[in-house]
Amino acid sequence: MSEMEEIVGSPFLNKLSGPESRFEPLNSGNLRSDGRRPLELRSFEAELTTHPSADGSASVSHGLTQVTACVYGPREAKNRGLTMHDRALVNVEVSVAPWAGEMRRLRSRGDKRTLEFAASIKSTFEPVIQTTLYARSEIDIHIHVLQLDGGLLQASINATTLALVDAGVPMLDYVSSLSAGLYHTTAMLDLTSVEESDLPSVTVAVLPRSGKVTLVSMETRLHVDRFEEMFKLAMEGGKVLRGEMDRVVRERTAALARQMEGGVALKEDDKMDTDL
Amino acid sequence: MSYVLPGDVLTLPTPPPKSLKLGPGLLMLHTPGNPVIAHRPGVLHSTQKQQHWVETESRRYIPASQESVIGVITYRAAEAYRVDIGGAHQASLDVLAFESATKRNRPMLKVGNLVYARVSLANRDMDPELECFDATTRKADGFGELKDGFIVECSLGTCRKLLDSKHFLLPSLAQKFPFEVAVGMNGRVWLRAGSVKATVAISRAIEMLDDRQTSDEEVAAFVQHMDV
Amino acid sequence: MPREVEPSINQREFISSAIQEGIRADGRAPLQARQMVIRFGNELGWVECSLGKTRVIAQVCATVTRPFLERPFEGIIVINSEFSPMASSAYETGRPSEEEVTISRMLEKTIRRSEALDREALCILAGQKVSIVWVWTLRVTLHFLSDEGNLLDCACVAAMAVLRHFRKPDIEVVGDEVTVFPPEERAPVPLALHHQPMCVSFAFLGPKNALVVDPTHLEEQLANGTMSISLNAQREICVLQKAGGVALPADEVMRAVNVAVLRVRELNDIVTKALEKDSKTRVIEVR
Repeated sequence: MSEMEEIVGSPFLNKLSGPESRFEPLNSGNLRSDGRRPLELRSFEAELTTHPSADGSASVSHGLTQVTACVYGPREAKNRGLTMHDRALVNVEVSVAPWAGEMRRLRSRGDKRTLEFAASIKSTFEPVIQTTLYARSEIDIHIHVLQLDGGLLQASINATTLALVDAGVPMLDYVSSLSAGLYHTTAMLDLTSVEESDLPSVTVAVLPRSGKVTLVSMETRLHVDRFEEMFKLAMEGGKVLRGEMDRVVRERTAALARQMEGGVALKEDDKMDTDL
Repeated sequence: MSYVLPGDVLTLPTPPPKSLKLGPGLLMLHTPGNPVIAHRPGVLHSTQKQQHWVETESRRYIPASQESVIGVITYRAAEAYRVDIGGAHQASLDVLAFESATKRNRPMLKVGNLVYARVSLANRDMDPELECFDATTRKADGFGELKDGFIVECSLGTCRKLLDSKHFLLPSLAQKFPFEVAVGMNGRVWLRAGSVKATVAISRAIEMLDDRQTSDEEVAAFVQHMDV
Repeated sequence: MPREVEPSINQREFISSAIQEGIRADGRAPLQARQMVIRFGNELGWVECSLGKTRVIAQVCATVTRPFLERPFEGIIVINSEFSPMASSAYETGRPSEEEVTISRMLEKTIRRSEALDREALCILAGQKVSIVWVWTLRVTLHFLSDEGNLLDCACVAAMAVLRHFRKPDIEVVGDEVTVFPPEERAPVPLALHHQPMCVSFAFLGPKNALVVDPTHLEEQLANGTMSISLNAQREICVLQKAGGVALPADEVMRAVNVAVLRVRELNDIVTKALEKDSKTRVIEVR
């Protein structure tokens, strides 16, 4: 089963529907299949502390893609032998719900694709988390994918960033991630699963404050000359997304601060002055 | 020079000599006639003083008492450091096992530091133990922490060659530029030269020597044409 | 198996100060790769590649099987990576380590996902009834013999060389009957390759994150970050993987892409020359 490729959005399925529903990435009015403009992002929603039992948790959705991340730690390592003497160990485990994709698929834990995915998230966050503050301990990150409509890596990274912020783990900066694709000469941001299976796409994760990229992942063929534009646009988009994430965090911090001061729960449209 | 394989019997001159010194690689069996057999493959060396031994090419270090080794500190316990010397077990180095170390005044080594030490205890039933001073004089004599520099890993045979004062490599390199070297019997050589280029040059020369496919002449030619 | 001992502080500082002067521990320039040596076996479809002391063996075998239900007109390609403690005592047989997973996945993405092989050309019989379709299943097995850094590039070259070297048995289809001819009767047929992707790996060393090509094992252990790019001769990027590690400005990434383009051309030349040399020693009819 693991040797078979993704069935989601395969050309075989499209053959069943017939030529009328053939996927058009960009129609004549320069709108995408879901009505967005090329550089428009899907609706981004994030919620912190979705799992109060974990040290930190967050749930992120980009359009229909929904991912939850839980952070445990820094805490004592389960396996002393694997710890490092001068820094914390970051472990990432990913589980994709069987109902997440278009067709029901039970993914085993040792699935190479899932392991690779977890390894990329781990190496993305290792240099960003201040691991040198917690020698010989462990930070465990669990990622649950609840609904999949493209942008899995981007949603997981964003959810992990927010969960780490929720847990109070010190980090150098937000890690903000976004996917981008190219249709002929038009670059598009934040792809859905049909767009991902049809167009060459790249996912990038940036540290928005410095503008540097920490993860670049492209698995589809694309000419070198056309790559650069798409890549740089994705980085810019990542910076915009950071603004969104920051807004969510500040709103929540404001609510927490009010609670801590023993204030009365304020009305919903009473916002604190958030200066981005 | 003869090559022996495990099981080959050493032919002794008749009448058998009064004292026979058997070095590494040879074993005297307790069967009738007390034959001496080789238990490791390699080149058999014999001297006039009836000393015999087998030179074997190997890379895995087996700790033996009084040998000098280069180790990497992997863990710092209260009373001793755990040091990796490339053997089956990590060795233990007492925190006070340095020249003139007292409870108040002792070198503070970190995980990842290199030390040049002497194997003080190598018993097959216990973890090996190291000391950073000479056994008789109790002075440092070169043992202790190795600062800066670079490590090259090679086979045990190459290390023995480098320790031989009659071998050509180190003196011919010394004619080109000054450098410091510490050779560990555990297959590690530490180098420090004035410039990065020089250090890289020595390390490449040692690796060439270690490579069984390059001849001594090629190594000598490499050193000759070295441009540092 | 215990974890590999981390390099000492002395090693780390030396590599760091050396790379700032533009020198690497084995005397290479930062953008210089080790020599790639390719040796073909007696049988078609066996190759050994070595990059310095890193060695990989690749082997292909072809069998006739049923296709997958969802793709009845395409052949099947399986890439099997065999890691063992032979390569390095850090690898265990059993649960794959992170590095093994990364390498296996990169190879799969580079060769399978980028569709280097024409899968439809591997379909033997597309009969009237879909239920009697037969296809070729190609199994590429990679044995990692020795890890002195950069197993991925070496494995990729080995896999592409072996696919170009291999010849599958000739086939005749009459109606619904398939006849497979052994190589003695009819000359075997080469595989149809759309393009030849090759992988180039980089490491970022030292405080300024200097770019080095073809890192050795020590450089991999001490790197701040790594990146692997798979490209073909038509300047198309097939896979670009920079999974975390140190954050870099976009221009550094583009610089690495440009270096990779040149290196892939070099690698393709090396493989082509090796194949030419090998074909002179064989007596086969080349169609």
